[in-house]
Amino acid sequence: MSVLEVDGLTKRFGGLVAVDDFSLDIEEGEIVGLIGPNGSGKSTVFNCIMGSYDVTEGSIRFNGDDITADSTHEIVTKGLSRVSQESNPIDLYSVGGNIKLFTLPNSIRSLHGGASDEEIYEYAARIDIEDKLEEMPDELPHADVRRLEIAKALATEPDMLLLDEPFAGMNQAEISELSAQIERFRENGMTMVVVDHNMGGLMELVDRVVVLNNGDFLASGSPEEIAENEHVQEAYLAGEGL
Amino acid sequence: MISTILLLGTVLATVTGRLGDAAGTVRQQLLLPIGQALDRLLAPIDRGLEPAANAYNRSLGRYFGTMSGLQFALIVGSVVALLTAGVWAPMVGPLVGGGLLRTLALASIWAIFAMSWDIQSGYTGYISFGHSVLSGAAGYTTALLIVHVDPGLSIWVTASVSVLAALVVGLLVALPTLRLEGPYFSLITFVAVLLFYRLTTAFSSLGGIPGFGQPDVFTWDPVMRYYYMAIPMLLIALGLTFMARSNLGMILVAIRENESAVSAAGINPTKFKIWSFALSSIPMGIGGVLLVGFTGNVDPDTFVIVDNSIEMIAMAVIGGMSSILGPLGGAFLFEFLNHQLFHGYSTPVRYLFLWGLVLLVLVFARDGLFRMIWHRLGAVGGESE
Ligand SMILES: Nc1ncnc2c1ncn2[C@@H]1O[C@H](COP(=O)(O)OP(=O)(O)O)[C@@H](O)[C@H]1O
Ligand SMILES: [Mg+2]
Repeated sequence: MSVLEVDGLTKRFGGLVAVDDFSLDIEEGEIVGLIGPNGSGKSTVFNCIMGSYDVTEGSIRFNGDDITADSTHEIVTKGLSRVSQESNPIDLYSVGGNIKLFTLPNSIRSLHGGASDEEIYEYAARIDIEDKLEEMPDELPHADVRRLEIAKALATEPDMLLLDEPFAGMNQAEISELSAQIERFRENGMTMVVVDHNMGGLMELVDRVVVLNNGDFLASGSPEEIAENEHVQEAYLAGEGL
Repeated sequence: MISTILLLGTVLATVTGRLGDAAGTVRQQLLLPIGQALDRLLAPIDRGLEPAANAYNRSLGRYFGTMSGLQFALIVGSVVALLTAGVWAPMVGPLVGGGLLRTLALASIWAIFAMSWDIQSGYTGYISFGHSVLSGAAGYTTALLIVHVDPGLSIWVTASVSVLAALVVGLLVALPTLRLEGPYFSLITFVAVLLFYRLTTAFSSLGGIPGFGQPDVFTWDPVMRYYYMAIPMLLIALGLTFMARSNLGMILVAIRENESAVSAAGINPTKFKIWSFALSSIPMGIGGVLLVGFTGNVDPDTFVIVDNSIEMIAMAVIGGMSSILGPLGGAFLFEFLNHQLFHGYSTPVRYLFLWGLVLLVLVFARDGLFRMIWHRLGAVGGESE
């Protein structure tokens, strides 16, 4: 069954067509790579799915529900969570506090609900930052800030994760480590879409790849097929390499 | 008078001039050693008080925040001082210009305003410049009920309806505006208070400029009057602290720091912003009712004028925004300076001093004086910074 169905998604910013009639179907348990050169519209697709941007045209369904017009918090509550390209932890709260925020119920009556310290530890342990819970986000190295972002998303107990450039700014060792962790999420039944601007971190990780170029669907296939695809290579020739 | 202005000029020069560097030197050469000496002096006291604080921390800390020994002593001491003011204030009063109980009663009312403002504006960062509309709505409702409905209405009836009116006005402001981002919310609250002020002055059925003199004061006995104001204030402080230390406070601060992160957490920021405004309106209404009982008069200059809205912000800033108890302390300091320490000066001069103080706090102690003291006390034990 399709978990996420994006159908004919179009997003215009004034005259600029950032995403043009783009469709995407994600099956349960899949890891799909969404790639494209910088500015091709990948983050915009995520922003439309998450309700951060109003959709110009098209529809989005999650677990069979039409979520096109939903607000972000409603979509998150339905089990879809996104790790943004930019990290935005709350610097006043410790790592543990930042994770805790993401476990709080959306209810004004729940004054002391949310995850226990043990549960917060578990979320952090799933991405290996459980020994950083007391630290403040602005003291963390970049890779750990990115991990915190993932821990926050996990703390909302999602069925599906959208990861926007999770490997950006990481070195090779950190990329492999994160890859392995994402692989583990899949083993626990998580469905994922991973955005990256090139194939580097995705080759080993994803089941299939969808390529966006200038807001248009360009190609889709196995990582190997995409790496060989002439149109994809052309698109990337204009900018940085695949 | 001239010396006052000179003094103020010097103070302002300190803020603006290159003396800013000197402040750094002062901090290095003077404040640091003093702080260290103070630490050595206070550390044993802190340790001595720790068992009591820990007993509190284990039982109630979860609901009202944990404290160090000295912090616990400060809170207990302040509460005891406030509860026994009826006894000591008449004796101490003459040393500081007299009328101390009146000042403390007034400070209690303003502390309610400053704390109420804080749970909404200080915590969410959606700054309201029009909170006196809320206390004004309550005050005017009481007056209108007495004048137009029945002068014999019980205080319980007029007070309940008045607080409800504050809540309704609060929701009227909050519902359409809190969805807006950026400065629109602040501007609209500002316009709301200007509008309400003109409304009350323009129509004689709303009392016009002289307002209504019919509402009675609660009592003429200064001791009783003080407790009528101080007890509700302490209860409101307790209630708002409880709220602020719960998930609610955590979410409101997160809204201030990063609203989109709150949405990403599956939490509806708009709902919580509106709730914080409602939660602020209710004690604002109670404060408004108390102000009627204090002055016995409901008029635009006592209740609505925009200066009132700014004054409660000033108190919160002096004490330390987003801490509830900071604004409480700020209100008492503000009123003490205004009515006791500066009582020999004319109103304009007093306010020159007070706004100068606000400016100094904003520049040099942005966390507020009481939050600063609070953290300093907490740091004596060597735990936090
Ligand atoms: N909020 C916005 N307002 C205007 N233009 C935007 C906005 N967000 C994205 N864009 C534009 O849409 C295009 C796609 O951007 P984006 O989705 O961020 O690309 P990618 O994530 O693939 O690098 C770019 O041309 C970008 O400038
Ligand atoms: Mg992007």
